[in-house]
Amino acid sequence: MVELRQSVFGVEFQSPVLLASGTCGYGREYAELIPLDEIGGLVTKAVSVEPRVGNPPHRIAETPGGMINAIGLENVGLRRFIGEKLPWLRENLRRAHVLVNVVGRSAEEYAAVVAGLDGEEGFLGYEINVSCPNVEGGTMFGTDESALAELVGRLRRETERPIIVKLTPNVPDIGIYARICEESGADGLSTINTFPGLLVDVDRRRPVIGNVSGGVSGPAILPMGVYLTWHAALSCSLPVIGIGGIRSGEDALQYILAGATLVQVGTALFVDPSAAKAVHEGIVAYLDRTGTGTIGELVGALEARGPVLA
Amino acid sequence: MKVQHVAEATWWLELESPDIARRAEWGQFVMIGFGVDHLDPPFLPRPFSVGWRSEEGRVGLLVRVFGAGSRRLASLRVGDRALLLGPLGRPFHLAPGKPVICVAGGVGLAPFLFLAGEARRDGYDVRLLYGEGSADRVFDPALIERLTGEAPVVWTEDGSLGHPGRVTDGVDGAGDQAVLVGDPTVLACGPAAMLRALAGRSAREGFRLQVSVEEHMGCGVGTCQGCVVPGADSRWRKACTEGPVFDASELAWSS
Repeated sequence: MVELRQSVFGVEFQSPVLLASGTCGYGREYAELIPLDEIGGLVTKAVSVEPRVGNPPHRIAETPGGMINAIGLENVGLRRFIGEKLPWLRENLRRAHVLVNVVGRSAEEYAAVVAGLDGEEGFLGYEINVSCPNVEGGTMFGTDESALAELVGRLRRETERPIIVKLTPNVPDIGIYARICEESGADGLSTINTFPGLLVDVDRRRPVIGNVSGGVSGPAILPMGVYLTWHAALSCSLPVIGIGGIRSGEDALQYILAGATLVQVGTALFVDPSAAKAVHEGIVAYLDRTGTGTIGELVGALEARGPVLA
Repeated sequence: MKVQHVAEATWWLELESPDIARRAEWGQFVMIGFGVDHLDPPFLPRPFSVGWRSEEGRVGLLVRVFGAGSRRLASLRVGDRALLLGPLGRPFHLAPGKPVICVAGGVGLAPFLFLAGEARRDGYDVRLLYGEGSADRVFDPALIERLTGEAPVVWTEDGSLGHPGRVTDGVDGAGDQAVLVGDPTVLACGPAAMLRALAGRSAREGFRLQVSVEEHMGCGVGTCQGCVVPGADSRWRKACTEGPVFDASELAWSS
């Protein structure tokens, strides 16, 4: 019998596998397709103070080994999230944990979402999105060291719930940002958000994506995600959630061995909604096969020599 | 499953999927893909209108090759397995007792193969107008007749088969035959320009029009928010869960 339970962020996660923000809506969309309460948890679509309409089409397109998207953080806004989305999560997810992904155009907007949500029930904590490549200023806080420190410090004063910062891969040294988050009071990191990309329709000589550029996700970015997760985990002592191109137990284990405590499955859900369950079962099979008793033994167990290179 | 080449670059697939066959409603679609181990196109599943169903649990899909993803789907062979998710989306709604006019452009024919056959059996007066660029693209009229119980009225832009011109001309009637009579419900599926032309006429002339739209789609169930089309109220509509069938008046039609 293998043990996949871990204590992280002050609670027990029954599985290390979560669903990534932007790929599982507000949970309910997948209720008939996935046994949501059997996985580790899910991260909601981003929530901003005011509703956002999002970008013009095309918003998504397939790319080699993945996809590019520029949804533009379309969401129902804080008030409707609390009134229409959170009650369903509260009533239907008893064992799976919910993280609310939070976005804002300013530190005040992020703080307003956190302050507005903090007294509600039905979720564990926040994933702070400082890394959206598809809206103006979306990576502003994720690529500016002092702005990030100020934002995380500000949110720390608003809440005692877990604050997990979702970092952008688009920085020269992710370790610096990992340490800033830790020093400013964050409880964990999510690495990584999508990579900025551009897909060209050569017949029309125009971008395929209505927003021009978009974020690239899927199996194509797996090794970059594993590298950046490894780098971030070595740079600070915070628990790290590994994200990027995971579609099997082996993929998840690459992240876990590189230092991730938990992982998120994203793009693979579009291909097959049962992918998260398959990832969980793949991890169980690996533990069985290797005679590993608990998943915790594998976190950061990568044997690697040499310096961490940016 | 069964695969049949039915026109230039166009295949008719019949897949075993009893659950989808039983539950599908006219105008709904399925996502078809190959799972997470398959990285070649199509990596993301692709949406296809349910084109037909049988009591034995088969579902028919009409596939035209536009790129690498649809080429892979068209190359499916007997014994191959694919991942189907469905039936999905909002279906067509017929007005009880009123005549139905289906306007199909290209592979926009698919939902009407399904609807025309069953609605006729339910007693509806259904007229199917079907347009293509040229005769080599026209889905075998004999197969359409077998699936729907009646041969379609065919239009080709180059006049190589059926009536010459655009299928939208067919709404004015072929020859002297009036079409927009008896307070009909017009249903349309095809290229954006065709839908836009019909929506303009619907707004001017006041006939009921429902359109089935197409947009790049990721998940089919509303989570990726990728497949939006512009609504008349300036809000985006998700083609997968709010559509694919819309009343034409719900959408914005400026090009």
